[in-house]
Amino acid sequence: MAPDPNASGSGSVPSKETKRKKDDKKEEDLSDEDLALKQQLELYVERVQDPDPGLQKVALESMRQEIRTSTSSMTSVPKPLKFLRPHYGTLKAYYETMQDSDLKKYLADILSVLALTMSAEGERDSLKYRLLGSEGEIGSWGHEYVRNLAGEIAQEYAKRQIEEAPIDDLMELVQQIVAFHMKHNAEPEAVDLLMEVEDLDLLIEHVDNTNFKRTCLYLTSSARYLPGPDDMLVLDIAYTIYVKFEEYPNALQIALYLDNMQYVKQVFTSCDDLLRKKQFCYILARHGITFELDDEMAADDDDREALQDIINNTKLSEGYLTLARDIEVMEPKSPEDIYKAHLLEGRASAGASVDSARQNLAATFVNAFVNAGFGQDKLMTVPSDSSSGGSSANWLFKNKEHGKTSAAASLSMIFLWDVDAGLAQIDKYFHLSDNHVISGALLGVGIVNCGIKNDCEPALALLGDYVDKEDPSIRIGAIMGLGIAYAGSQNEQIRSKLAPILNDAKAPLDVIAFTAISLGLVYVGSCNEEVAQAIIFALMDRSESELGEPLTRLLPLGLGLLYLGKQERVEATAEVSKTFNEKIRKYCDMTLLSCAYAGTGNVLKVQNLLGHCSQHLDKAETHQGPAVLGIAMVAMAEELGIEMAIRSLEHLLQYGEQNIRRAVPLALGLLCISNPKVNVMDTLSRLSHDTDSEVAMAAVISLGLIGAGTNNARIAGMLRNLSSYYYKDASLLFFVRVAQGLVHLGKGLLTLNPYHSERFLLCPTALAGIITMLHACLDMKAIILGKYHYVLYYIVLAMQPRMLMTVDENLKTLSVPVRVGQAIDVVGQAGRPKTITGFQTHSTPVLLAAGDRAELATEKYIPLSPILESFVILKENPNYREEH
Amino acid sequence: MITVSVKWQKELFKDVEIDTTQSPYVFKCQLYDLTGVPPVRQKIMVKGGLLKDDADWSALGVKEGQKLMMMGTADEIIKAPEKGPVFVEDLPEEELVVAMGHSAGLFNLGNTCYMNSTVQCLHSVPELKSALVKYSHSGRSNDVDQSSHMLTIATRDLFNELDKSVKPVAPMQFWMVLRKKYPQFGQLHNGVFMQQDAEECWTQLLYTLSQSLKSTGSSEIPDALKALFGIELVSRVHCQESGEESSETESVYSLKCHISQEVNHLHEGLKHALKSELEKASPSLGRSAIYLKESRINGLPRYLTIQFVRFFWKRESNQKAKILRKVDYPLELDVYDLCSDDLCKRLETPRQVLRDEEGIKLGLKARKDGKWIEYDDDNPIAQREEDITKLSGGGDWHMAYICMYKARVIPM
Repeated sequence: MAPDPNASGSGSVPSKETKRKKDDKKEEDLSDEDLALKQQLELYVERVQDPDPGLQKVALESMRQEIRTSTSSMTSVPKPLKFLRPHYGTLKAYYETMQDSDLKKYLADILSVLALTMSAEGERDSLKYRLLGSEGEIGSWGHEYVRNLAGEIAQEYAKRQIEEAPIDDLMELVQQIVAFHMKHNAEPEAVDLLMEVEDLDLLIEHVDNTNFKRTCLYLTSSARYLPGPDDMLVLDIAYTIYVKFEEYPNALQIALYLDNMQYVKQVFTSCDDLLRKKQFCYILARHGITFELDDEMAADDDDREALQDIINNTKLSEGYLTLARDIEVMEPKSPEDIYKAHLLEGRASAGASVDSARQNLAATFVNAFVNAGFGQDKLMTVPSDSSSGGSSANWLFKNKEHGKTSAAASLSMIFLWDVDAGLAQIDKYFHLSDNHVISGALLGVGIVNCGIKNDCEPALALLGDYVDKEDPSIRIGAIMGLGIAYAGSQNEQIRSKLAPILNDAKAPLDVIAFTAISLGLVYVGSCNEEVAQAIIFALMDRSESELGEPLTRLLPLGLGLLYLGKQERVEATAEVSKTFNEKIRKYCDMTLLSCAYAGTGNVLKVQNLLGHCSQHLDKAETHQGPAVLGIAMVAMAEELGIEMAIRSLEHLLQYGEQNIRRAVPLALGLLCISNPKVNVMDTLSRLSHDTDSEVAMAAVISLGLIGAGTNNARIAGMLRNLSSYYYKDASLLFFVRVAQGLVHLGKGLLTLNPYHSERFLLCPTALAGIITMLHACLDMKAIILGKYHYVLYYIVLAMQPRMLMTVDENLKTLSVPVRVGQAIDVVGQAGRPKTITGFQTHSTPVLLAAGDRAELATEKYIPLSPILESFVILKENPNYREEH
Repeated sequence: MITVSVKWQKELFKDVEIDTTQSPYVFKCQLYDLTGVPPVRQKIMVKGGLLKDDADWSALGVKEGQKLMMMGTADEIIKAPEKGPVFVEDLPEEELVVAMGHSAGLFNLGNTCYMNSTVQCLHSVPELKSALVKYSHSGRSNDVDQSSHMLTIATRDLFNELDKSVKPVAPMQFWMVLRKKYPQFGQLHNGVFMQQDAEECWTQLLYTLSQSLKSTGSSEIPDALKALFGIELVSRVHCQESGEESSETESVYSLKCHISQEVNHLHEGLKHALKSELEKASPSLGRSAIYLKESRINGLPRYLTIQFVRFFWKRESNQKAKILRKVDYPLELDVYDLCSDDLCKRLETPRQVLRDEEGIKLGLKARKDGKWIEYDDDNPIAQREEDITKLSGGGDWHMAYICMYKARVIPM
C-alpha cells in the first residue's frame, strides 16, 4: 500500500462517480474518524483566532494535545500535522497580530512543531518559534521534532558565528536537547550537535553509567574522520569520560593514541588496584613503548618492579612459547618443509649438487622467519657434533661473505625475545675472526633484545664499543643492532654514541645511512630537534654523487621517522629540506610528508601524494617511489581509506611510470600487511609475473607481507608455483623464498600488523620497522640483492604474537573458553548489539586473525581489559554461580 | 662488601659477594668458579657498559642486591671450517655447466633458428663431438675444399664453446662460414636474412661433415658420419607393365615421413615414403614406363633421423606451404617391419628398438634422467615428456620437423 491515503482506491471507481470524484476525493478517502479529526482541527484553528482568550486557550491546548498524542509514529507524517498543514500560513499570520502573552507563546510552540513539516529549506522556522515559545519540556513533541531542531541549531550556530552574534539562547536549547538525547539512547546525535556547536565539554555533565560506553565509542570512532585539532579534542573528552567512570584500560588506550604520557601517568595514579595496574602494563607492553614507572604510580618497590617487568616485556617469550606448545607447533621446520617442492610436478629445480650462495641465504632467512622465537630450528641450533665443530657453524659457513652477517643474525631471530638464552648462543660468534660473522652477532644482539628492556642494558653494553670500530660492516652491525634494540626508547646514551658518526667526514656512506635509520628508530615520533639537526647536516654534507647512491634514501627516511605520525610538527623541518640539493629535495619532501601523516588517514595528504604520482617525469627523479609508499602509509589508518587507496593504486599501475609501478606492490603490501585480502592477492599475483623484474620482485615480497604469519594456503600455493616459474632466475627465486618464509612467519603465530587493540592503536616502532624495510625495497637490486639484505631484519620490529593469552591473578596461564569471530562495527548502535559474527568457541590461548575479535564465553571470570588481545588478566567473578 | 646476583644464561647466582677493594678481575675469577667461563670470555653487563678488569668499583656505583648479567660460553669455541664450500656463483663457467645439467643456448642472429636447432641437435650426439675433436686444424686432406674444412673447424669450435659456457653463445663464426660454404643461407629479404629450412641446413651440414671427417683418414672409423647417421636402404624396383625387376641399394641420412590424408602416425608416414613410383625408360618396352620402387631398411645407424615432410610446393601460388596435419610419433620407435628380410633375421633376437632422442624443429634434447630441455635460441627451458609428444602438429603450435631416434642398445 502506498503510504499516501489520497492515492488509494482510484483504480476501480465506477464511471458515474468520476465527476464527483475530484471535489470529494479528499473526504471520500478519509475514514469517518479522520474526517472528524480534520473537522475538529479546523474548528480549533478558527477558535485560535477567536477574540476570546479563554476559547483561544482551550483551542490551543486541545490542538497541542492532538499533536502530542499522535507523534508516536515516525513512519508517516502524523495526521494532525497533515491536517493542519493548510492552516500553517493562517496561524503564522495570526501569530504576528497577537499581543505578547502566554497564549502567544503557546501558539509559537505549535507553530514550531508545524514548521517541522512546513518550513521552507533554510528558513529555520521551527527554531525561530521554539525560541519565541514557552520553553517547555522539549521531548514532549517527540523525537523527530528534537532532531529537526538540532539540525536547525547547527545551521543557526554557524550563521551566528559568522555574524558574531550572541549564542546564549541557542546554548540553552542545546543543553535541553543533549540531555534529551543522552537519556534516549541517541548519544551519536548529542555528540554530533555538540561538535557542531563546538562545546563537547557539555557532554561530561550528561553521561552516566548507562550511556558513557556508547558515547565514548562514538567519540573515538568519529575522531578518525575529523580534521585536526578537533580529533584531539574529541579524544580528550572521551579520555575524561573514561577516567570519570573508572574505565581505565580504555582511558589508557586513548592516552596512548594521543601519545600523551601525562595521561598515561594519570591513569596509573588514579587507579589503586595493583591487578588492574598490571593489566595497564600489559597494554603498554603490547604498544611497545618505553615507560618508566615512578613511586607516584606504584608506591611499593616490589610492586613497581613487578609492574615494570611486565612493561619491559620480559615474559613475552614465555607466553609465546606457551601458545606454541598449546597449538603444538614446537617442532622446528626446515626451509624444505616450507618450500614443499614435492608438490610441484615436473620441473622442480635441478637437484643442486653445488651450494648456491643466494639460495642458501634465502634458506637462512626462511629458517629465521619460520622458527622465529621458538628457540630451536634445524639449521642454526642443531646440537654440535664433534667432527665438524658444530653444525650451526656449518650452516653459518654455507653462506658467503656478507651472507654470513645475515646467517649469524638469524640465530638471534630464533631466540627472539629470549635475551638470556639468545645472548648465550650468540656469544660464540664473537670469538670468530670473521668480520662478517661478528657484524651478524652484533646485529643479533639487537634483534634478540627487540622490544625487551632490561636493567643491565645488555645491548648497549655489548654493542657500544663496536660502533666506532674500523671495519664498516662491524660498525653497521652494531649500529643497526642498537637501533632495533632501543627503538622508541629516546635513549640519550644511544644518541651520544650515534650522532657523532653522522658528522664524521671519514665515515663511509653506508655507515652514515644506517646511523640515520637507527637514530630515527630510537627517536621515532619524538620530533627531537637535535637528532633532526644531526641528520640534516649529514644530508647537507653529502656530495652530489653520494646523493645518487641507493642507500642515501635512508637519510631522509631517518629524518622522517622522527616525525612519524606527528603531522604539522614536521613543518619546520620540511621547510629546511627545501634548501637541500635538488637531487634529494623532492625525495626528502615526500618522505617527510608521508612519515608525518602516517596512520592519520588524512585524505588531503593522500591527494597531495597522488598528485605527485600523476606527473610524468623526464628526468631520472626518484621521489615518486616514496610518494606511492606514502599513500599507503597515510591511508592505512582505517578500512574505508584502505579500500580507496587500493583503488587509486590500481590506477597508478595502469597509468604510472615504471618507478611508480615498482612501488605500487610494496604499497599494497603495506596496506594489507598480515591481512590477505583476496583482491589484493590477485593483483599481486598478476604483478608477480610482470615483465619488469623489479615490479615482479616487489610483488613477490608483498605477497609475503600480506600473508605474513597467516599460513594462507592460497598464497603459499601461488608462491610455490612462482618458485617453479622462476627456478632459473636466482634473484626472483630469492624473493619467492623470502616471501614463503614470511607467509609462515613464526609458523603462523606472528603478525606484522602495526595496528593492535581492535585496530585502534598504531605501534610506532612496528610501523617504522616496516617502512624502513619497504624504503630499502624501492631499490631491490642495489640494496637487498646487494650486500645489505639484512635490512629484511627490520621487520622484527613489527613481529608480535597474534594471540589472546589469558592469565590469572598471579599471571599464570589460565585456559578459559572464548568465542572468536569476525568483529562487527557496533558504533552508534543502541542497546547491547552482538560484537562478533560467525564465531567459534576455543580455549585460550588462541590465535586471532586480522579483523577477529574475542569475547569470553564464560561468566566465571571478568577480564580486566575490555579488549581481548595479547595478555589479559582474568579476575574471578564474585557473583558467578555454577549452573547445573 | 656488596652482595649482588648474577644472571648467566638461564641460571641465577644469588648472593655473590663483591670485594670492592679488589679489582673486578677478582670478581670474574669468582664467577669462573661458579660458571666455568674463563674470565677473558666473560662479558659482565653493568648498566649499559661492560665491566673492565681494572675498573674501579666505586665509580661503577654497583648497589647492594643489584642484578648483573653475564655473557660467555664455557664450551669450546667454534672454529671456521678450514675450507669453505664452493658456491655456484663462484664456479668457472665450465664447471657450472656440470652443475646446471645442461649446456648453453644459442643467440638468434636474425632468423637463424633453423641453424641453432640443427646445431643443438647435432651437439647432443656425443659420438659426433668426439669425432670432431679428433679433427685437427691442419689435417685437411686434398679432397676437401677450404670452405668445408673451415665449416668443420667452426662446428668443432662451436660445440666446444657450448660445452663450456652457461650463458648463451653467439655462433658468429660458424654462421659466417656456413654462409660462405652455402651462400643460399645468406639470402636477404627486405634487408634481413630469410627464414630457411632446417632440413636443408641439416642435410648440408651433415654432408660437409661427413666429407671432411671421412677424409681425415683415421683408420678405425672409415666413415664416422655414416656409422652414426647413415641408413642403408635396399629397394626393389619393379615395373608392372613389363615385369622387369631390379634391386638397388643406397645410403641416406634421413628417412622421410610423407604426410597425406591417410597418415595419422609416424609409422604410416614412413611406410608411405618407402614406396614410390618413378618413371624411367624401360629397356624391354623401349619407352618410359611407370616403375614401383619399394625400399626397406637394410642397415640401421646409431641415430635414426626422420624428417616430417611438412612443406610442399603449392603450384597455384608459387609458394611453399606447410602441412599442419597432426602426425603422432612415439618416444620409442619400432622399425622392425620396415626392415629388409636380411636385417630382420639379424635383428631377430635383440629387436632393435629406437628411442626418440631429438626433435629438431625446437632443438629438443634429452637429458640422461629423462628430462627434456627446450632450446628456444638463447633460452634453454626444461620440458616434460608429455610436452614432447604434444608437438605432433594439428594446430598452430610448434611441430616436430626432424626427429632423431637413438638406438637403444640391448645387452645380448
